[in-house]
Amino acid sequence: MEAVVLEMQDPKTGVKSQTQRLVITTIPHAITGEDIVEWIANRHVNLQNMGLIYYDYFFFIMLRKSLSTFLSQTPYFWPAQQWPVEDTDYAIYLAKRNIRKKGLLELHEQEQYNNLHKWMNHKWDFIVMQAKEQYRAGKERKKPDRVVFDCQERAYWVVHRPPIIFTQQCIMRPRVKSSVSIGALVKYTTTYKQHDPFLYPCLPSNPWLTDDVTYWHLNMPNVENPTKMRVERWTFSFGELLSDPRGRADFRLFLKKEFSGENLAFWEACEDLKWGAAATMQEKAQQIYKTFLARGAPRWINIDGKTMEITVKGLSHPHRYVLDAAQTHIYMLMKKDSYGRYLKSPVFKETQKKAVAPENAKKRRPSLSPIILRQQEEEQKAKLAASGPVDITQLCRYTAPVPHLAVYTGICENQTTASPGLMTLPNSAACPSPISVAIDSTPASERRFDSGPTSSHFPSIAESTEASVSEESQPPAAKSRVALSLSRLLRRGCNAPSVFASLSPKCAVTAGGGKVQPLGEPLAQPQLPLRRLNVMHKKTLVWFLRVS
Amino acid sequence: MNRWRRSVGEIQARRRQVSECEQAQSALSKVTACYQQMATCLGSNTDGSSLREELEETRALAHRICTGMHRRLLALLAETEQVQEDREQVERMWVLFLCALENFQQDLRKVSILQETFPLGQRKDRRALVNTGATGGGSEVAGRAATVQTPWVTTEGEKKPDLKSHVLEIDGLLQEMLQRVNVPLWSVEPTQNAWGEGCGDAQDEDDTLEEIMEVEVVSQDNRASGCCNHSNCKLGCIFCLLN
Repeated sequence: MEAVVLEMQDPKTGVKSQTQRLVITTIPHAITGEDIVEWIANRHVNLQNMGLIYYDYFFFIMLRKSLSTFLSQTPYFWPAQQWPVEDTDYAIYLAKRNIRKKGLLELHEQEQYNNLHKWMNHKWDFIVMQAKEQYRAGKERKKPDRVVFDCQERAYWVVHRPPIIFTQQCIMRPRVKSSVSIGALVKYTTTYKQHDPFLYPCLPSNPWLTDDVTYWHLNMPNVENPTKMRVERWTFSFGELLSDPRGRADFRLFLKKEFSGENLAFWEACEDLKWGAAATMQEKAQQIYKTFLARGAPRWINIDGKTMEITVKGLSHPHRYVLDAAQTHIYMLMKKDSYGRYLKSPVFKETQKKAVAPENAKKRRPSLSPIILRQQEEEQKAKLAASGPVDITQLCRYTAPVPHLAVYTGICENQTTASPGLMTLPNSAACPSPISVAIDSTPASERRFDSGPTSSHFPSIAESTEASVSEESQPPAAKSRVALSLSRLLRRGCNAPSVFASLSPKCAVTAGGGKVQPLGEPLAQPQLPLRRLNVMHKKTLVWFLRVS
Repeated sequence: MNRWRRSVGEIQARRRQVSECEQAQSALSKVTACYQQMATCLGSNTDGSSLREELEETRALAHRICTGMHRRLLALLAETEQVQEDREQVERMWVLFLCALENFQQDLRKVSILQETFPLGQRKDRRALVNTGATGGGSEVAGRAATVQTPWVTTEGEKKPDLKSHVLEIDGLLQEMLQRVNVPLWSVEPTQNAWGEGCGDAQDEDDTLEEIMEVEVVSQDNRASGCCNHSNCKLGCIFCLLN
């Protein structure tokens, strides 16, 4: 902290300082608060410490009630852990002030003085003597320095012996009976319990549990038709309505119909000012003033005279919260007046009517553990390995998609040759998968080609696709296998899991389209070059599924 | 000789000693006050080697006063004569001397730390000094300190210890004082009343100074709390910079 303060002093890179005129004298090295803030913002100093800076290391001279300039605190008065702040010193300080002000101390100072006099009675002679001497010693200095020193000392003591009203304010917080606060809690939970995903099921299903992201799609910020639950939330409180972008949009529409849209616009502009970047704040504030507050403004808002006065006065030195009072006023206005009307309005009723009420999706089996999945796949592999040899001639009728298809069904026995590079994460884009692996360029595929004859899975797919073209009938077993593999294939590649999942309940597949790719799974299905599946193939697949 | 009868000479000697101690007490006050005033300049742009030298000289003076006073007070207290009015006075002086020593020691500690934090050995150190807006150094104050005279002859000048050992020396001194002499601190009655110092002689030139030094701490009436309307601002006017 001290390092930061010292950095500020640097004449080249520090905060720029100026000479401050003070009645009849001038005081050098004065810096304005804005400069400090700007300098700190530029240095990205941890903002938590910013408060500390203002408290202990700076103080300011108030010139005729205008908060303008700051001075650095002399290191003697810096906060330090090495020495505690002694009551004796404070007593001496108070006595000194008493001498200077001839008994006209502030109220809290008087109280403290009396207390200290009581507790330090035995030392009082010393305290008075020391105070007198310090006072006289101080008088030896030049006048501006005296002013500065006095300010320094005052600031030091304001920090270390703050006027009791500050602490009192902290203590005198409004207290609430526990019955009242508990009642409020009960009310809150009763209202919101159906909206809590932990307590009640999400509709259609909780994406985290079933891997089905419909819920998220239905509740997108700017969805056309919100869900019924969402609309219900808007009726809970005005804050809920405003914080939901869809709700706010609906409200905006309603206000437009009522020709009072400027209130919401003003509120939004104030929010923007509060949370926006500091650099643009000045112009934003001016813009808001011109648009909403000035006399004859295009979107003049109706706030009472006192608030307007305060706001306009504050706008001469705009800061982030200068429009707080006006914003609160407008917020309450909207809440008490427009909100009620909105809830009874045709706009809202329309939205309610069109609201979507998704049903609870059929209970889907949650994902199986990858270990079990792996086991099942191994079993299937073994099963297919037991079936007939590969007919390489069949392969040549098609281009490379075939081996890939085979791979993706996950029953290739040459899994070990497949390089991990082939495995990419499941795509989340819409089907078909945009991932294309140039068949020719993949080394693994070539390897697979080379080791072709040993692959035993080819026949099933090769046969099946051949069959699709030539419309031969397939043995039911193969067909079912094909159905299994193809459906798995599509599921993994496409983003429309639900349709296919329901078609193959026997399949022990990862629900949700296999979004979660178990590590080390030898299936390189994500690289499904579905692109290569031309329309013919797709039609065939559909045919197959229908048949099975 | 009857122990209740003391010679005039003895009484006079004692009175002289007591008044010497009183003078020494006020001298010590003066010196320590000047020392403190100068110490506030440390680390600021008015800091300099001259300031530090002056600090050292002032400290030496204080040291001389302290050691002399310590010896005398001990002697005074050690006397078995229980003379009532004297005793109270001497005890008060003892307590005040203790307080003064403690106070001075604190200042010495601060000065020691500040001098370490802001060394003046190299040129770059000068840039590290804080610009506080003061222009003059403590030289005027030092001048005031230099005018202080110890009431006793300065032939008893011991070697002035350096800063750190001075602090430790005072530590030892205080401990010794508290142990050796059984004077309960709270039994001392002050001669000054509360608020008495405020009714001192009027200083005219201070009026203009008062106007200049108008610094408001407490927030104004029309605002509930804090200086601006922001709800998070709990500070008084003086420090708020919520921007």
